[in-house]
Amino acid sequence: MEQLLIKIGQNFFLIFGVIALGGATTMIFAKNAVHSVMGFLLSMLAVAGCYLSFGAEFMGVAQLLVYAGGIVVLFLFVVMLVELSKAKEKGLFQRQTPFALALVLAGAVAFVGVFWKTLFGASAREALTLAPGLVAQGEKLGNAQMVSRGLFAEYLLPFEILSVILLVALVGAVVLAKAERV
Amino acid sequence: MPFAQSLLESLTRDLPFLYGPLFLILAATLMIWPGDLFVGRNNKRIWSYVAFLVLAGGGTLALLAPTGTGFSDMFKVDGLTKGFQFLCVVAGLITIVLSQPQLNALREQTVEYYALILFSISGMMLLVGATDLVSMYFSLELMALCIYILVAYLRTQERSIEAGLKYFLLGAFSSGILLYGISLLFAATGGTTTNLAKLNEELALVSPNGSLMVFAGSLMVLVGFAFKVAGVPFHMWSPDAYEGAPTPITAFMSMAPKAAALGAFVRVFGTGLHGVSSEWVLPLSFIAGASMVLGNVTALRQQSMKRLLAYSSIAHVGYMLLGVLSGDVQAGAQAIWLYMLTYLAMQSGAFAVIICLQGKGEGERIEDLRGLATRQPVLAFTMMVFMLSLAGIPPLLGFFSKFYLFKLAIEQGFVALTVLALLTSAVAAYYYLNVVATMYFKEPVEVEGEVPPLSTTFTFILTASCALILVGTFFGPKLLDWTARIVLG
Repeated sequence: MEQLLIKIGQNFFLIFGVIALGGATTMIFAKNAVHSVMGFLLSMLAVAGCYLSFGAEFMGVAQLLVYAGGIVVLFLFVVMLVELSKAKEKGLFQRQTPFALALVLAGAVAFVGVFWKTLFGASAREALTLAPGLVAQGEKLGNAQMVSRGLFAEYLLPFEILSVILLVALVGAVVLAKAERV
Repeated sequence: MPFAQSLLESLTRDLPFLYGPLFLILAATLMIWPGDLFVGRNNKRIWSYVAFLVLAGGGTLALLAPTGTGFSDMFKVDGLTKGFQFLCVVAGLITIVLSQPQLNALREQTVEYYALILFSISGMMLLVGATDLVSMYFSLELMALCIYILVAYLRTQERSIEAGLKYFLLGAFSSGILLYGISLLFAATGGTTTNLAKLNEELALVSPNGSLMVFAGSLMVLVGFAFKVAGVPFHMWSPDAYEGAPTPITAFMSMAPKAAALGAFVRVFGTGLHGVSSEWVLPLSFIAGASMVLGNVTALRQQSMKRLLAYSSIAHVGYMLLGVLSGDVQAGAQAIWLYMLTYLAMQSGAFAVIICLQGKGEGERIEDLRGLATRQPVLAFTMMVFMLSLAGIPPLLGFFSKFYLFKLAIEQGFVALTVLALLTSAVAAYYYLNVVATMYFKEPVEVEGEVPPLSTTFTFILTASCALILVGTFFGPKLLDWTARIVLG
């Protein structure tokens, strides 16, 4: 029993990953838009679990608050307010399904090939690893502190550009939705 | 607080690099709020003057910026940065002037229109200086997001909204591909760096296991960029977006974002992926060749002037990709810059003529130009100069920039592609000359009502572009060499 629990504890990432994939599949294939949003919620919660299983507690909590909390509610509002039955009647996005499926399959096969070779390739040298130095630094400093240093020191410029992007998105929403202009 | 202090120190050290774009962002924000509160409903035209001055000021600040690298190697000011920033600013200034007739006629003057143009240009300024894939990606998004909105700006017209939506969806999709490519490259280096110079070193050391990942990553980055510059086969959005957008924004789209994206294209593939060029030279050659062929051949059948210019701009991008292919980054950037500069003059001139004739957003078919030579001799003459120059007919400026580009391509060993470029240029001459023939040799159409007189700014743009192209006839090679040396160092 104890062995089993340890085994589960080691594979939290895989478990949450599978749940996230299941949620994403539900989101795409659900007929009812509300069910789609619920699938999205499940997927986001599971991704938060993935972050936690890596010991990235800051990212995990941020994921819960922002995605599972804020964005899902926003999506629900949109789904409830917008009439979606018209899009269904017109059969939008239906004609191209076979092509899309074929392309997705081809893409999936190609990428499985890429990752297969990268991870288990015949080469004698070690497989790819993500920066070990970064992990050690993270253990020393703590998670939230690492994120903040990344945001405000190393990645300051992209972070600030991102804030301008959000401003532009707000302005754009007003420009496109305002009833009267002049 | 050693950390905070070091942060402050590096910020004060690096900030001068960004005075230009920061000034634009600040001014645009202040224009929206609180500036707009003080301007009455009928005085919104004031914002065009303000935006023009702000943009000119921001451009000057950017050109005066010190050269160097800052923000943990994420932004670099050098000749390439300044040169392409200059192109984007000029394109923005021209767009603001060109916007006036249509916005006034449709009563659609708002502060947001100008603010979005300014935001977009600040994004372009950041984009051409980005030396890190992360800052490059975010600046690209800032630039593109503003343009999605501007394309759909006339939201009472169905085709404007359709164009905006198409552009937005495909743009978002291509950004996803670009981002995935970046993440693959990041993973292939062992998750150590996204900085272009370091990336180049790290990619050379990737184990054979990771080679496929490098290939997939660089291919996806290539696809992402090809979407942004509308290279075949990733061009599908561009004719629809060009046709549906308000005409001044079409002019803007065909000049500024293209210049910025090509500048970033050269930088990313010339520095970051230079070492692994064997992975992307063949796909990029295909994109360049296909753009030349498909752009020019499809342009033959177009009835709408805007669609014709859209397809011809796809073809021009195909030519400019020859510069990206060039192994010599500096020479490639220089050739692209010159090409873009002359293209700016010709394209802005052609759009100015279309906007003059267009009035309230109608009458943009080639047929509408019939007999323009008798109705409006001056306009017809300038249009002829622009068309001949776009076609690259020898003594005009467009010929010299093409010549430079093709010469470079031959020197770098892309002979087959250059021959293809020459052949397709000959095809292109047909549809450009067709426009000229329509203006000069077809029966004039009956025009209802008075043709509005040209405004002074319009006359200025037309004269300036036309003069630039004609002066190029005499000083062509020297002028180009000289400007390139000054701007690109």
